[in-house]
Amino acid sequence: MTTQEVRLCGLLLQEHFGGVVEKVGTHLIRSGALTLRAIVQETNMSLDLVKKSLCVLVQHGMCVFGAGRRGPGWPVEYCVCVERVLYMLRYPRYIYTAKSLYGDTGELIVEEILQRGQMTMSCAVKTVADRLTQNMEDGCSMDYSEVVSAFSNLVETHFLQRCPLVAEQGSAPPPTTSTLETAPPPPAITCPPTPESNPDCYRLPQINLRGRGKRRRSSEDGEDQRGGKKPKLDNGQPVGDEDIYWQVNFARFHLHFRDQGIISAVACKLDQTSSEIVRTMLRMSEVTTQPSAAHTQPLSANEIFRALPPSYSIGRPILDQYLTLLVDDPMEFVGKSGDSGGGMYVVNLHRALANLARATLESVVQERFGSRSARIFRLLLRKRHLEQKQVEDFAMIPAKEAKDMLYTLLSENLVQLQEIPKTPDHAPSRTFYLYTVTQLPTARMLLQRCYKTVSNLIERRLFETKENKRHLEKSQRIEAILASLQTTGAEPTQLQEVEEMITAPERQQLEALRNHINKLDSSENQVDESIFLLESYIKSAGTTR
Amino acid sequence: MADVKVKKESTEPVDIENRIKELCSQFPHGITDQVIQNDMPHVEPQQRAMAINRLLSVGQLDLLRNANGLLYRLKDTQSTSKVKGSDNQEKLVYQIIEDAGNKGIWSRDIRFKSNLPLTEINKILKNLESKKLIKAVKSVAASKKKVYMLYNLQPDRSVTGGAWYSDQDFESEFVEVLNQQCFKFLQSKAEVARDSKQSPMVQRNSSFATSHEVWKYISELGISKVDLSMEDIETILNTLIFDGKVEMTIIAAKEGTVGSVDGQMKLYRGVNPIIPPTGLVKTPCGLCPVFDDCHEGGEISPSNCIYMSEWLDF
Repeated sequence: MTTQEVRLCGLLLQEHFGGVVEKVGTHLIRSGALTLRAIVQETNMSLDLVKKSLCVLVQHGMCVFGAGRRGPGWPVEYCVCVERVLYMLRYPRYIYTAKSLYGDTGELIVEEILQRGQMTMSCAVKTVADRLTQNMEDGCSMDYSEVVSAFSNLVETHFLQRCPLVAEQGSAPPPTTSTLETAPPPPAITCPPTPESNPDCYRLPQINLRGRGKRRRSSEDGEDQRGGKKPKLDNGQPVGDEDIYWQVNFARFHLHFRDQGIISAVACKLDQTSSEIVRTMLRMSEVTTQPSAAHTQPLSANEIFRALPPSYSIGRPILDQYLTLLVDDPMEFVGKSGDSGGGMYVVNLHRALANLARATLESVVQERFGSRSARIFRLLLRKRHLEQKQVEDFAMIPAKEAKDMLYTLLSENLVQLQEIPKTPDHAPSRTFYLYTVTQLPTARMLLQRCYKTVSNLIERRLFETKENKRHLEKSQRIEAILASLQTTGAEPTQLQEVEEMITAPERQQLEALRNHINKLDSSENQVDESIFLLESYIKSAGTTR
Repeated sequence: MADVKVKKESTEPVDIENRIKELCSQFPHGITDQVIQNDMPHVEPQQRAMAINRLLSVGQLDLLRNANGLLYRLKDTQSTSKVKGSDNQEKLVYQIIEDAGNKGIWSRDIRFKSNLPLTEINKILKNLESKKLIKAVKSVAASKKKVYMLYNLQPDRSVTGGAWYSDQDFESEFVEVLNQQCFKFLQSKAEVARDSKQSPMVQRNSSFATSHEVWKYISELGISKVDLSMEDIETILNTLIFDGKVEMTIIAAKEGTVGSVDGQMKLYRGVNPIIPPTGLVKTPCGLCPVFDDCHEGGEISPSNCIYMSEWLDF
């Protein structure tokens, strides 16, 4: 937990849930697991407010609770998952992905669930259908069945999953209290997630969830789909899925992002066709490969050939050539694991992530310190340890400039210096000074920079809105007046008069503000892409070790 | 016996001298007294000594000492003629400089080797320089260090720094131009390959260029006033690799193929970066020089950041 992460979490909580939740949330992040009583005392807020804030956090899966560290008999403790809180930054990207994969309906479903944290299928379908109908022309309406099919598509592809059940003994918060008798209780849930085993409790339910998601589809889903639709038609009857809540499966989205990143990198490096082959390989192994695996399950060239979409008219010999090229490429996105079945191929997921992360680091150095510093940086990445003189010679940069660049990089912690003394006294004249770049720590450092950057962007956005609060309020008021006048059927001259209440400079200022906010928003999303890449690289590096 | 002796007596000292010179030219590394003795067993040691002494005093022969005794060596006639009219000290310094070859020698090292005072050496060096017998060359390794070598010698690469230096300055612009030209060449080659619409394998293979091809292209362009070797071009191509713009593969080549070194050939090709500039550096914060001093509520803060304001109004 770094200062930057806490700050960013605070800002995100503030933005999505307001000041009270933010206060409780950041306090919990700072102090780890706490009991309700401790939170109330330490934050000096009323019990009721704290309870409500915790409810919000639990509802969104950002807070977990369990028996206190002293045993089951002791008061329940609460703990915030920072990782989950930071996912809020990525909400636009999840929604956009759902839109590009499943159209407007998918977009709205994901958006609704993200906004509410978790909801029943029937509720989601209703809301989404209502919203879609609202946007349609008069007379048209959205059929529930369409929404239901989109929803089940999302579940089938694991983008949505069921919320973990809360153990009955735990003091469950209102929304998730479920004593589900119909579905068989999965074994893993019987042990309540404790704050101590926080990372595990985050990981374990997911594996279970996926399994349960499937089971549900096979046993209950059919009923549910009909159930979600029918009762709506003959108003007011119980829907039948009140106890089953759904949430967004972030891990699945992240896998999708990772695959997209790899595919686009291949497209940049080689060409479109190779990227399609890699896409096919990744799609084929989506189900069979563990999320944290270093590479996909081996696929034979025959399988790949059969799975290729027919629209890409790639012949078998051409496919073999492409596969050879992919294997030969120094980036090693694709590896060969055997010769059976026309050659077995894997996608090196972790290596691809490492390569992408390295490219990110290089690009940061390149943009920040110029292409020559980037040359030195890449040189060090390639050759590991070099003396200053060697750096000058290899990079063909005059000694003076090279020294300057190296020292700048060193002071920014992008390059490390290793001393190797020939004698025990560390005399400078008898010491080798070797420069080196270590990718993983540098990536971690850059990740922190990214967090701080996003926080800065958010703060700037808040500042801009605050500065122009008066204008914003005025324009809102005038818009409201205009709308009401239009409904009453006012004269056009009257409307114009009202419109002119906003002066030209004010209008200009509002326009500028809108531009600024848009720019800041899009930058936040762009920085989040860097964050995602670095996070996944760091995570993958952690599992390979 | 007496006859022979008389005959020997009659042998002119000039003959002996000539014979010795002949011997010396046969063995340029020098000959020992023993060799002369074996060659002319009939000559009296006294005569021999006289002849050698004469040659030494005229300056046609050098007397050297090595592990197994004295060595005689023919003196370079050219140098003798050059240093003619100068005294022994000058000759000595000249010799030391000559021995240093095209690497040159520092004046302080001359002092150590000759045991002459520095002022004397400076005088001699100036003298020799004015006679155009030696020249001073500035070394790239240490800009203030002058090394001396014979006037007609081409300085060694370690002294001049090779093709990348002119007057001890690293020609970074020259390197940059070459760097760009090489990249342009490889890039156009890759583009032609990409447009050829052939099978992917052929496309890839035809996008490769050997270092020899690049070298030929650069030489034909005539950008460079100095002659660049293939190794020079390879160093340039290496910088392109470190720029992330080029990839290199080494393949085995038949002996005698153009551009192959030790049976292998280096192939280069231009490649595209795998990602566009990352999101972080698209924001002012990613490039901010005072990023670490930036805190909300501080002197530098996101709210009053001038970089941010300029960027937003851009």
